[in-house]
Amino acid sequence: MALLFSPPIFIPKNSSPLLSANRFSLLSVTRANSSSDTGITSPATISVDVKEPHTSTPVVKKEEVSSAVEGEEEMKTTETFTNFEDARWVNGTWDLKQFEKDGKTDWDDVIVSEAKRRKWLEENPESTSNDEPVVFDTSVIPWWAWMKRYHLPEAELLNGRAAMVGFFMAYFVDSLTGVGLVDQTGNFFCKTLLFVAVAGVLFIRKNEDVDKLKKLFDETMLYDKQWQAAWKDGEEDSSKK
Amino acid sequence: MSSFALKSFTGLRQSPTDQITLVSHVPSSLSLPHRRTSLRVTASRASPKLANRTLRVAVIGGGPAGGAAAETLAQGGVETILIERKMDNCKPCGGAIPLCMVGEFNLPLDIIDRRVTKMKMISPSNIAVDIGRTLKEHEYIGMVRREVLDQYLRERAEKSGATVINGLFLKMDLPEEWDSPYVLHYTEYDGKTGATGQKKTMEVDAVIGADGANSRVAKSIGAGDYDYAIAFQERIRIPDDKMTYYEDLAEMYVGDDVSPDFYGWVFPKCDHVAVGTGTVTHKGDIKKFQLATRNRAKDKILGGKIIRVEAHPIPEHPRPRRLSKRVALVGDAAGYVTKCSGEGIYFAAKSGRMCAEAIVEGSQNGKKMIDESDLRKYLEKWDKTYLPTYRVLDVLQKVFYRSNPAREAFVEMCGDEYVQKMTFDSYLYKRVAPGSPLEDLKLAVNTIGSVFRANALRREIEKLNV
Repeated sequence: MALLFSPPIFIPKNSSPLLSANRFSLLSVTRANSSSDTGITSPATISVDVKEPHTSTPVVKKEEVSSAVEGEEEMKTTETFTNFEDARWVNGTWDLKQFEKDGKTDWDDVIVSEAKRRKWLEENPESTSNDEPVVFDTSVIPWWAWMKRYHLPEAELLNGRAAMVGFFMAYFVDSLTGVGLVDQTGNFFCKTLLFVAVAGVLFIRKNEDVDKLKKLFDETMLYDKQWQAAWKDGEEDSSKK
Repeated sequence: MSSFALKSFTGLRQSPTDQITLVSHVPSSLSLPHRRTSLRVTASRASPKLANRTLRVAVIGGGPAGGAAAETLAQGGVETILIERKMDNCKPCGGAIPLCMVGEFNLPLDIIDRRVTKMKMISPSNIAVDIGRTLKEHEYIGMVRREVLDQYLRERAEKSGATVINGLFLKMDLPEEWDSPYVLHYTEYDGKTGATGQKKTMEVDAVIGADGANSRVAKSIGAGDYDYAIAFQERIRIPDDKMTYYEDLAEMYVGDDVSPDFYGWVFPKCDHVAVGTGTVTHKGDIKKFQLATRNRAKDKILGGKIIRVEAHPIPEHPRPRRLSKRVALVGDAAGYVTKCSGEGIYFAAKSGRMCAEAIVEGSQNGKKMIDESDLRKYLEKWDKTYLPTYRVLDVLQKVFYRSNPAREAFVEMCGDEYVQKMTFDSYLYKRVAPGSPLEDLKLAVNTIGSVFRANALRREIEKLNV
């Protein structure tokens, strides 16, 4: 039987912070007008009348919904102030010429600006529009800018820690077994341990990474298990008989 | 963010108690040789010939799966009965079919309302990428109305010799002996509107359960449960000038605001658009997600009137048990919906056909009784043909739908021509075509690059938060 999702009370009760009062949505007209400017009171009152009978009944009537939608047309102009605006964001992409510093583009600044834009959009999702499509492609930022900003600091940290741990491990192994640094590097067991350590650090850098890897592994196996279930239980079934 | 709590995989072993009572129906004294070896593929030559009658098979559910199954059965000489509860049912559905389905099922071109040749993928930060540049002249994604497609397939089944009954399947009595019939209990609706229908029973030799995500056949055989997504959709009639934009273009929106583990869509239908979204993990917030989807498309659907609101569950993976003795599940009832794209129509029809073919072959065109081994052949063939496709899409979903940075990377990658070509080839023709190794390597490097950049930006965002 088809599961028809019968909404208990339609949109108006929606009060999530993500879509707060100054968000404009097709159906929650009455919410939108409460905090924004005053120029829209007239259409607002019309929609309020429509909403009254609507919110009292738990079952949504489609005609009431559609007439609320029509009231939206006038509302469009009021919410442009929530769009992302920046002097350097031109025509749906970053104008790289405005990022120049000493004759060269300041890629760090581009990265930070794009992050700011994405953060803004995560909190205030915007409508896409055909007149101003967003065409920014992060691959326009050269690879070395990414390396310099993200990979190198982490690499420095890890290498520094490895050096410190390595120094003390070498000292302890020497004091316990008498094998000096030069001989340690030639020893097969030590080389194996070193290999394991380097490979391990590639995947496990923080304590949380261990759990993350375990969960990832389980995830990858889950779908296959769900598919093979038909075969596994068939075996059980016939053996029960 | 979207790290869902992994449900431990239980299969059928800890299923509710009704499971156990079903098994006890089968007498433990059953010791026919071919029963014990039913796992191994034994030819059904061991089954006896049916005296003076042909095999009777009931297909429960008259959607694409049921219609295709009934047609193949009837053409194969099997006595077929198709039971459908609502002949004009408008199943809430995206309605997209791949090109190969038109050829394989000989669909007339007027069934297809629109041919989508362009798609737009829109990332959480509204970066829009156009997909479809690599499509050739004759290639398209067909958009159909489910009521039209389902009716056509049912009519074709009827013309091939199947009996179509308008009725609601209630329950099924499992057979006592290995060759006893299944007794179906159903309510038959005669032509009069408003009538509550007559309770009837019917005896059949085998049953194909094609009754969709909330399958009663599946419940009757204790097939187990699956995780499902809720797909919520609103059909909106938009002004003509806005409709021209969607003439042959479909849009996909990704982002945490739109869905934590799926995507929001705007699909063009015959004279309106369908705007919807879906989710597995946050079903309670589906209205919020729908609002966000409408908001993201707002400029393009402004002034539209909502003409219909609908929702339906979509299975995420197959049921633990897809067949039991002479009952097999196909289509949504079995859970054959792909991840990542949520495509189900083609797989429903194909599985219906494959299952029917297995029955026709196993019964030698309806002359012999079939048993579970014949139906297992259908499962084997299905898994062999399509499991790689399902696996690939599952990996794609796991990797690219988990978080906003992953989605940004996904959209960026979809801008690449090679990706588009491979994606469309595998979608339209349902074959995993081998690409050139050099391009694959470049693609791998680009993927890692995109994912790295997106995650780096996410770390930057977190730094800004602090």
